[in-house]
Amino acid sequence: MSRPVVLSGIGHLGPHGPGLEELVRGLEAGSLPTDEVDTRAGFHAPGTARRAAFVPAGACDRWVPAREARRMSPPSRMAVAAARMALEDAELEPDRVAGSDTAVVLGTAFGSTTFTSRLLDQANEEGPLGMSPFLFMETVANAHAGQVGLALEARGPNYTISQGEASALLAVARAAELVASGRARRALAGAVDEISPVLHAALGRLGALSPPRPDGSGERPRPLQQDRDGFVLAEGATVLLLERAEDAERRGGRARARLRAWIRGNDPSGRPGRHGTDARGLSAGLRAGLERADVALSSLERFVSCASGSVAGDLLEAGILRDLLGDGGSFDVVAPKECVGEFAGGFLAAAALGAAPGGAAPAPESTLVELARGRPRPPGRSLWSALSSGGAAAWLVADTDARP
Amino acid sequence: MTVPRENGSGDGVVVTGLGVVAPPGRGLAAFWDGLASGRTSIGEVSLFDTSRHRTRVGGEVRPIDAREPRGGRGGPPSRTDSFALAAARLAIGHAGLPRTALARAGVFLGSSTGGMFEGERVYAALTDAGRRERARVGRLRDQPLGCAAESVARAWGVRGPVETVCSACAASTMALEAALSSLRLGECEVAIAGGADALCELTYGGFNSLRAVSDAPCRPFRADRSGLSLGEGAGILVLETEASARAGGRTPLAELAGAGSSCDAHHMTAPDPGGTGAALALRAALNDAGVRAEDVDLVSAHGTGTPHNEAAEFAALESVFGARAREIAVTATKGATGHLLGACGAVEAVAVVAALGAGAIPPTSGSGAVDDACPVDLVEGAARPIARDAVAVSLNMAFGGANSAVVLRGRPEPGGERP
Repeated sequence: MSRPVVLSGIGHLGPHGPGLEELVRGLEAGSLPTDEVDTRAGFHAPGTARRAAFVPAGACDRWVPAREARRMSPPSRMAVAAARMALEDAELEPDRVAGSDTAVVLGTAFGSTTFTSRLLDQANEEGPLGMSPFLFMETVANAHAGQVGLALEARGPNYTISQGEASALLAVARAAELVASGRARRALAGAVDEISPVLHAALGRLGALSPPRPDGSGERPRPLQQDRDGFVLAEGATVLLLERAEDAERRGGRARARLRAWIRGNDPSGRPGRHGTDARGLSAGLRAGLERADVALSSLERFVSCASGSVAGDLLEAGILRDLLGDGGSFDVVAPKECVGEFAGGFLAAAALGAAPGGAAPAPESTLVELARGRPRPPGRSLWSALSSGGAAAWLVADTDARP
Repeated sequence: MTVPRENGSGDGVVVTGLGVVAPPGRGLAAFWDGLASGRTSIGEVSLFDTSRHRTRVGGEVRPIDAREPRGGRGGPPSRTDSFALAAARLAIGHAGLPRTALARAGVFLGSSTGGMFEGERVYAALTDAGRRERARVGRLRDQPLGCAAESVARAWGVRGPVETVCSACAASTMALEAALSSLRLGECEVAIAGGADALCELTYGGFNSLRAVSDAPCRPFRADRSGLSLGEGAGILVLETEASARAGGRTPLAELAGAGSSCDAHHMTAPDPGGTGAALALRAALNDAGVRAEDVDLVSAHGTGTPHNEAAEFAALESVFGARAREIAVTATKGATGHLLGACGAVEAVAVVAALGAGAIPPTSGSGAVDDACPVDLVEGAARPIARDAVAVSLNMAFGGANSAVVLRGRPEPGGERP
């Protein structure tokens, strides 16, 4: 039996700092704060990006005391902080989630790359006998979900999903399924990723990042814009509390959104690390999924696009959007990654809040698809999208509570 | 709230194809022969220089299979991807699945090393100023953990769900759980499910840093066991609804009857000594399968060969099975294969289905008395007969406290292919 699932708490820390207010302010300002990446190791190729969107120092401190933080990598700290923030937002005491009926499902595209590179450095410089067991433990991709489970004594299913840019939404979909099917009463679901010099340099060398421009206007995400040239790498963590609607109601909790459907698919036309081109195939899969879920395309009011400024990825997304808009869709399109960057799940928080980048909209002729700004109408039914550069795709339909 | 429609027919989910690339052999027959012989396939690692590591042995796949086509332009696949593609090809062929059925399939894999074997070489080049500009950075496209699943999906034109679970040693069992869920919900009718991992120095050195690795092939459940042996490979199961199998004329080899997962919430690397978390996963799987503890005939144990693991695992078995924990037949294939990390659950599930089809439980490699602290009825020395319609559970326990278990039920009907 499928049980209605609601989203009743959001925890987020990202480039705008910790908390939802900071995120909303950043979105309304239409900005993404970035800083220089440490390039002293010499990994970066000439002409490639030098800036990324970091979580401010100390952002986790209020939620992860030093004695706990010492046992964690940066992504684990961020994940635990975001999980505790989600419970605060839901007004749910941590002892209420301890137990075997709470699942943890996190997505991560890269895991702890700072610890991985430190461990490899140890192996290269001191030999394998110099490798630190603590570093090793935190390089395992499910360490962050494990730390959340440990911190909250959540003994239900503990999943970590890694599927590139689709990791976050696939994690939420998996979590929703666990709650809907009764395998868990509630789930802490979301994503975490961190920036390291080698990761940033590698993505730059692979042509994925928005590079500098002579006029200083480079290294910016330009989702769905004609002159996009790559995404901006971000770090952070977002965790959503999903629970049975009946449980949220019983405890007087607020449902920020009701999750109506989740749909997963794949575009087999891509290559490793490069988006494919079969927008029509993906669109067909999405429409079939909506039909199975009894969600009419015409009922969608907002499409929260995963567009990030990726040259190929945004083109694929635009193809899907044009297909849907030409087939009876009449929704606004927003692209929050303009203000939260790519990876780390900031997109999830923005989507869950119904928030969108503010400021002046780009001229329609300069975009692949017309973009809405701010909150031109109260968010109602929205569809959130995710397209991995390896082909995997995920979409989620949420009926967002109009209250802030 | 709606999700993809439920499988209203009440059909079960069955296994119709098996594919495996593992140290005992490539392909089901070679793999089974290796397991059934009781021999270990763990030996000196030749993939990289182990002279500076604490230990020398591991379960290496050799020789590496010829590079499988990845279904698109690009360089060679990573070692992990190669294993996944080869095992998938074997499983799909075993099932006799036409390509047309795969367009609507889903791919659910577990992995914990991804392309790290190649990635650590690129990293070494990037950190060397003299080699930096010749570093094959393009190989890093194969590095992410999700690449193997996407490679498989790409190779067979899959348009259904694609998901990679990377919950360490429980990853591929959880991938089987994810596939089971999707099939039951009707999100797809066929799933390519399993796991793949390759040896790499990061993991080899890392486990050694924990002092968890034996300097000889691991000997699960033995009193003088001294640690695990790392291994590599891939196991893939073709899962489908019974209706899909019937419509395609494919004979089920076994039923994937249930699955369950949990988290110890005890420690990041050591299992809860009371086995509480693992017991939760076992009970959840049995409950999901509608199977009573007293009806289980076989346990495929996680059995790594570390003192902590087997003690905790026995505590879990006692919690669930009571006194029967000392009587149910137990096999632990890591003695033959090594610990395949993210792929171990899938390879062990392949072994269980193969065992049910053969009507024989493979012996656990290694010698020595079973530890009094974990007094299981260990199948050793020679294969032991088992009814073909027996019920088996396969359990895995991972870093981060993740635990996962599946319940597999054999089929009594003749014609189910023997390995």
